[in-house]
Amino acid sequence: MSVEVLDSAYVADHETGTFARAGLLRRLARDRVAAVAALTLAAIVLAALLAPWIAPYDPYFTDLTKVMQPPGAEHWFGTDNTGRDILSRVIFGTRNTLMLGLVGVIVGGLFGGVLGILATYYRRLDGWIMRLVDVMLAFPAILIGLAVAAIFGAGLTAVVIALVVATVPAVAREARGAAMGVMGQDFMEAGRAVGVSDGALIWRYLTLNCISTIFVFLTLRFGQIILTGSALGFLGMGAQPPTAELGMMAAQGRDFLFMAPHIATIPSCVIFVIVLAANLLGDALRDVLDPRLQT
Amino acid sequence: MGQQIVHRLLISFPALLGVLFLCFCLLQVVPADPAMIIAGPDAKAETIAAIRRELGLDRSIPIQFFEYILRVLRGDLGRSIISNRMVSEELAMTIGPTVELMLGAMLIAVPSGLALGTLAAVNRGRLVDRVIMACSVAGVSMPVFFIGLILIQYVGFKWALLPFTGRTGPVWDGGLPSLILPALTLGAVLIGPIARLTRTAVLEVLGADFVRTARAKGLRESVVIIHHALRNAMIPVVTLIGLQAAFLLGGAVVTETMFSWPGVGRLAVGAIVSSDFPTAQGAIMILAVAFLSINLLVDVLYVYLDPRVQRR
Repeated sequence: MSVEVLDSAYVADHETGTFARAGLLRRLARDRVAAVAALTLAAIVLAALLAPWIAPYDPYFTDLTKVMQPPGAEHWFGTDNTGRDILSRVIFGTRNTLMLGLVGVIVGGLFGGVLGILATYYRRLDGWIMRLVDVMLAFPAILIGLAVAAIFGAGLTAVVIALVVATVPAVAREARGAAMGVMGQDFMEAGRAVGVSDGALIWRYLTLNCISTIFVFLTLRFGQIILTGSALGFLGMGAQPPTAELGMMAAQGRDFLFMAPHIATIPSCVIFVIVLAANLLGDALRDVLDPRLQT
Repeated sequence: MGQQIVHRLLISFPALLGVLFLCFCLLQVVPADPAMIIAGPDAKAETIAAIRRELGLDRSIPIQFFEYILRVLRGDLGRSIISNRMVSEELAMTIGPTVELMLGAMLIAVPSGLALGTLAAVNRGRLVDRVIMACSVAGVSMPVFFIGLILIQYVGFKWALLPFTGRTGPVWDGGLPSLILPALTLGAVLIGPIARLTRTAVLEVLGADFVRTARAKGLRESVVIIHHALRNAMIPVVTLIGLQAAFLLGGAVVTETMFSWPGVGRLAVGAIVSSDFPTAQGAIMILAVAFLSINLLVDVLYVYLDPRVQRR
């Protein structure tokens, strides 16, 4: 079998994949819960992207004549302890919170995926990489966040580093598991037998066949990353005032919980909605893309 | 079984060494020089050099790491920069409350999760199943501090049913009321995942031959479910509980901070905020070692619960 024949077989597979993905949206739309979750998440992402244009007030503008106002017509989500408009701060805060989640998922997923796939392909690296993964897994995400904040000081960068470091080992394990399955396939052996280079085998044969599993895993992980990021923000290890970040806003509101509960509960509710929508969408995507993982 | 346990202990060793190395690095890479912090801003160069010698900071990194391991083995984790007490003493005071909080959370989460998961599986497809599963997804998506805020605001403040700050003492010495709200906060986030997995595992087992046999020989349905189905469904659930230990430890840090619970997590956060590096290092190390130990315990329990693992 020549490389061309193998490649055309691969391309045919790939096209089937594309064809299947074209129906993905339709299948997701059929699941009402997933459709609502996707729409909610899309609306939140859009609001975060358009924050400077849609926020009704300046999120940093303090008005000491209007402190701790409950939700009303003028300020839909009320005002905080320095009279800042909570709706505007929530919109800007969502931007930072989503950014944390996305960077954690993308960068952590990339590093983790590469490690997992290399560990599978080069067996001599497997022991080393998986021991490293074991050590990394010995640090829960919050602990990594605390350690990074201890070294570099609290801030959004510390949280991003912590989220990436916490994501890498989990993705590496998942990617290794998926890649192990692919490695056992006949086409890998056939590819090697006809002299396909290591690079081509790793990328075109191994990685592309693992991507949907890794993608589903990352979608399911996204909510957890947001929760960890906002927990670190809540502990004061993340964004520093006056920057708006949902976890940090909830922590600031905690001091005024008995006088003005909305200051803490509204940002917490928004985190809950984001994570809930992400989890529901992740579940639905898993069912569509990787039915073997269904629970 | 003994061999299995020794094997798992040996596997954990490199991870433990890695944890110790990372904790050791923590003090090496912090921007501030511990000797300068201890000596104070007006200290002379000789004083700083003497402290550096005393702390062993003038030696090479591998030697410092080796000495660090020896010190850890002796239980010497250095001295807190803020309170000037031994870090091991500070940790000894905080470990008890953290263990108490985690056990309290587990005591709430595990039975509730198992019960709800089994209830959902037995009523598959009915309203009860749907409600339980919806609540479990919602529970998984809720930030720990959100649950804490709600409990503090209503149960603690408005209805004044339970205390919500600090720890009044050990559980056996009148401290139970102060434990309930923090344990409930921490446990609530675990109920969802446990319920979900229990449902899947029980559903799988309910279709097995031995369950049919148990029913065929006329056992009561409750006996079939509790003794035959649930016991066999426990294997993945125990693994999940172990995996959730990471989550629980992370959640404990947040919960302790919220409820001013005097545990290791709150100690770590306080130490980082006040740049007390030796205390932060000790607290982070203890939490990581605790996490490794819980995972080891889960592995051992797994061998005990599933005799097939022993034969592999």
